[in-house]
Amino acid sequence: MIELPLIFVGGLLGSAHCLGMCGPLAISLSAGAPAGTNQLRRQIVFSLGRVFTYGFCGAVAGLGGAWLSSESRGFVLSQAWLAVLAGAVLVLMGLVTAGVLPRPAIRFLSGLPCGAAGWLKTFLAAPGWLGALVAGVFTGFIPCGLVYAFLLKAGSSGGIWMGWLTMASFGLGTIPLMVLIGYGGQFLATAHRARVFHIAAWCIVLTGAISIARGVAQLNPPADAVTADCPFCAERTERSAQ
Amino acid sequence: MSASDPPRYCAFCGLPLTASFSVGGDRLAAGDEYCCSGCRTVASVENAGREQGESANSLLRLGIAIFFTMNVMVFTMALWSGDVYAEEAFANPLAGALRGVFRWASLMFSLPVLLLLGKPIAEGVWESLRRKAITTDLLVLLGIAAAYGYSIVSVLRDEGHIYFEVGAMVLVFISIGRWLEAKGKHQTGESLDALARLLPTTVRRLGAGGAFLEIPREEVRTGDIVRVLPGERVAIDGVISSGSAAVDQQIVTGESRYVEKKVGDRLFSGSLNVDGDLRIEVTAADGEETISRILKLVREARRAKGRHERLADRIATWFVPTVCVIAIAAGWRQGISNSFDQGILTALAVVLISCPCALGLATPMAVWTALGRAANAGVLFRSGMVMERLATVRYACFDKTGTLTTGSPEAGELLVATGEDPQRVCRVAAALAAGSNHALSQAIVRFSQQRGETQPVVEDAEVRSIPGRGLVGEIAGVGQAVLGNRRLMEENRLRWREELGSAAIEGDASPQEVFIGWENVVRGVFYFAEQLRAEATTALEACRDLGLELRMLTGDEQQRAELIGERINIPATSGQLPEDKSTTLESLARQGGVAMIGDGLNDAPALATADVGVALGCGADLSRDTAGVCLLGDDLRSFPWAVGLARQTFRIVKQNLFWAFAYNCCGIALAASGRLNPIWAALAMAASSIMVVTNSLRLGRYPELLSGAVVSITDTSQTAVANVLPTAGGEHETSEQELIVTAS
Repeated sequence: MIELPLIFVGGLLGSAHCLGMCGPLAISLSAGAPAGTNQLRRQIVFSLGRVFTYGFCGAVAGLGGAWLSSESRGFVLSQAWLAVLAGAVLVLMGLVTAGVLPRPAIRFLSGLPCGAAGWLKTFLAAPGWLGALVAGVFTGFIPCGLVYAFLLKAGSSGGIWMGWLTMASFGLGTIPLMVLIGYGGQFLATAHRARVFHIAAWCIVLTGAISIARGVAQLNPPADAVTADCPFCAERTERSAQ
Repeated sequence: MSASDPPRYCAFCGLPLTASFSVGGDRLAAGDEYCCSGCRTVASVENAGREQGESANSLLRLGIAIFFTMNVMVFTMALWSGDVYAEEAFANPLAGALRGVFRWASLMFSLPVLLLLGKPIAEGVWESLRRKAITTDLLVLLGIAAAYGYSIVSVLRDEGHIYFEVGAMVLVFISIGRWLEAKGKHQTGESLDALARLLPTTVRRLGAGGAFLEIPREEVRTGDIVRVLPGERVAIDGVISSGSAAVDQQIVTGESRYVEKKVGDRLFSGSLNVDGDLRIEVTAADGEETISRILKLVREARRAKGRHERLADRIATWFVPTVCVIAIAAGWRQGISNSFDQGILTALAVVLISCPCALGLATPMAVWTALGRAANAGVLFRSGMVMERLATVRYACFDKTGTLTTGSPEAGELLVATGEDPQRVCRVAAALAAGSNHALSQAIVRFSQQRGETQPVVEDAEVRSIPGRGLVGEIAGVGQAVLGNRRLMEENRLRWREELGSAAIEGDASPQEVFIGWENVVRGVFYFAEQLRAEATTALEACRDLGLELRMLTGDEQQRAELIGERINIPATSGQLPEDKSTTLESLARQGGVAMIGDGLNDAPALATADVGVALGCGADLSRDTAGVCLLGDDLRSFPWAVGLARQTFRIVKQNLFWAFAYNCCGIALAASGRLNPIWAALAMAASSIMVVTNSLRLGRYPELLSGAVVSITDTSQTAVANVLPTAGGEHETSEQELIVTAS
C-alpha cells in the first residue's frame, strides 16, 4: 500500500512522457469535437476511459501474477521475483528518462500515434461523451513502455484488486496533465517542463527501488516459513540478501 | 442446391455469396444481400453517407460493447481469483456475498453486449432464413443464446457456472473479425474502382444556345458535342470535331508517349487531354465507352468459376450441414460424459472454429484481386479460368509480324546507281513519298529525316498514286519522277542500271524493295526490313526465365523467318497458313499448355485454338474475343508479366485453400474433443478469415512491370500538364535517336 501514492506521483509526473504519444490524441479530441461541447468534460471522460483500460490491464496482470505464484508456490517465489523485475525495469526506464543512461537506439512504434489517430478518428470526432469514453478505452491499449513497466508492478502485487489499484493510481496520476494539454494546450514553459521531466524520472526510479526492496524482502523468508524452499532458491536468496 | 443457381454477389464487397446449404428451392429476391454480418455493418456505416452521427453509431456500438466486455472480464477474473485462493475465499465471510454480487454484475454488463453485437448477426441469420439457407451464423447465434441462457439460469438459481464472458468475448471477437474482413474484401475491387474514378463525373455539353453547360456524365448521348479543356480527362469515346491536342492515352493503350490528335481522330474515354481545347463529337456515351467496357469485361471475367473455385464451392455446400452434425454430436457426447454446460460450450466451439468464410473466399478473393490488378496494368483476362490456364502454360508461341516485329516496315538501306548523289535521290524520293499515306512511303519519309535531311521536304509536288504500283509526280528541278515497284519501272520504260537490277534479284530472301527513278533512268532502290520490337529481346528473356518454351509461328518464307528467329534465339516454324498454325498448336498442346501470342487480327483462329490466346495491342478494340487475354498496350513485356501474375495468383490460391482446409480439419477436431474454449475458437476463426483476406490482397500490390511500361492508375493530370513540353520533347528526341541507331 505504501507504493500507491508514489505510483500516483509517478503517473502524475511521468505523464510528461505521455504527452508525446497520447497528447496528440487528446488535442484532436478537442479539435475534432463539434462546436459548443463541453471540452473539459469530454477530456475528463476521455481520461477516465484510459484509466478504465489501465485498471483492466492491471487486474489481468494481477490475476496472472496470482495464478503464477499459486502454480509455483513452494518452488519459486514468483511474486517476489516479479516485484524485483518490475522494479528493475522501472529503475531502468527512470534512468533513461533522466538522461543518466543513453536512449535505446531503436525506437520502435514511433509512428503509432498517427496510425492510432486515424483509427480512433470516428470516436474522437463523435459528439457526446460516449465517443470520448470509447476513444479513451482504446487509447489505453496503445503500447507504452511506462504502462508496461507499471503493469509488471501490478503483476507482482499478487491479486486482481491490488493490480487494479496499482494501475488505477497510475492512471489517475496521468489525468491532470493530459486534461490540461487537451484543454488548454501550452501550460508550461520549456525550461519548467524539463525540470518536471527530471523529477518524474527520479520518481519512477524511486518506485522501482522500493519495488526491488520489497521483492528482496519477500525472497528472504521469515523464520517460521511453512513451506521449505528448494535448495536452489534458498541458495540464491541467501546470495541476494547479502 | 445453391451451386447450380446463378451466382449472387454481396452488396458491399462484390464477392460472390458463399455457397450455402439451402432448404427447398425457392428463394426470395430480397433487396441487398450481404455475404457476412461484417459487410452488412460496414455497408450500413458507409451507406449512411457523410452524416457523421449516423456513421459513427455503428462503430461506437462496437466500442461500447468492448467497454462492457472488459467489465465482464474484470468481474469474471474476480470470480476466478476466488478459485485461485480457494481457502481464503472460504475463510472470508464476505467472500460469499461478494461472489453473488460479481455474478449479478457480470449478468448486467454482458446483456448490453448481446443487444449491441448480437443484433447484426441476428439480422443476417433472419435474412438467410428467409432465403431458406442455413448458415453457420445460425448455429453461432444459437450457441451464444445457449451460453447466455444457461448463465442467466445459474445466476437466478445462485448455483452452477456462468459463461457470460464466453458469450460477450465471442461476440466481440466475431464482430471485430468480420469488420476487418469486410474492410479487406472491399479492397478487392480497389484497382477497378481506381479505373472507374478516372472518368470525370460531369462533362461540358454544347447546349441549344451555343453555350457549353456542365451536365452529369450519364446524360450525354451519342452525337452530342462536348468540350474538354487542357488537363481534363475525356469521359466518353468520340471524334474530335475541332481543335487539336497532345493526348495521353496510357490508360487505354499503355503507350507512355503523348499522341498528337487532330480533327477527325478518335479519342477513348480515360485519355488525358494534355494541352488543347477540344470539341468532341460523342460516338459512345457513358456506359458504352472504352473504360466502361473494360470494367464490364473484368466484372464478367469474375463470373466464370475456375477448377479450384468449383471444388471449394462443392465442399462449402456440404460444409455447413457437416459442421452442424459434428457440433451436435460432439456437444451431445460432452454433455453426457461431463455436464450440460460443457456440451453447450463444445458445440459452440465447433461451430465457431469452423470457418466456411475462409474456404469460400480462398479462390475468389485472390483471383478477383489479381484480375483487378491486371486490368490496372492494362492486361485484361477474359475470365479467372483463363488466368488459371495461363499459370500452367508450358509453351509460348509467338506470331512474327506485328508481334515480335513492329509490323510497320522500316527502310533499312538505300542503294544508288553509280554517279548519283545519295542525298539528292533520297530527297526526291521523300518529296514524292510525302504525298502518300502508304506505309512504305511513310517509311521513306522517316528514312530521309533520319539521314539528317534538314532541308524541308518539298511538299508542293503533284503526286499521283497508282494503286498496286507506286507514285508518279512532278518534282521541281527533276521533272517527272517515279517511285514504286519493279513493275512500275518497267511500265514507265525506265532504264535499269546494271548494279541495281542484279542487286535486287540476288538471294532468295529478297527483302521488299522500292525503286526511284527519273529521266528514264532508275536511280536508286530502297530496301525494307522488318524491325524487331525494341522490347522483344527483354520480353523473350523474361519468358525463358519463367521456364517457358518458346516458338515462333509465321506465314513468312523460311529464310526470312529463320533470320529473325536466330536474332532473338527462338526456333521458327515458317510457311504457316492460319489453319496450319492451329494444327501446330494442337500437336504442341498434347505435351503441355500452350499460349499463343498474336495481334489478334490475322491469327484469330490460332488464338482461339491455343489454351490461352493472348492478343497484343488490343487498345480500345476489346471485340477481339477469340483472345482470352487482351494486352491493351503494345508492349510485349506485358505477356511474361501476366504469366508471372497468374502464377503468383495460383500460388496464393493454393496457400489459401491449404490453410483453410488444414485449419478447419485441425480446428474442428480439437474443438470436438472438448479441449477448446469458445473464446479461443472465435479468435481463431476471425484470424483465419483475415489471414485469407490479407494473403489475397498481397496480389493488389504485385509489382509493376518496368518503369513506364505499365500504366499505373494515379491521376497525374496536374503534373502532366505542368511538364508537358519538356517531357514530350525529351521523349521524342530519344525515340528518334533509337530509330537512327536501328536504321543505320
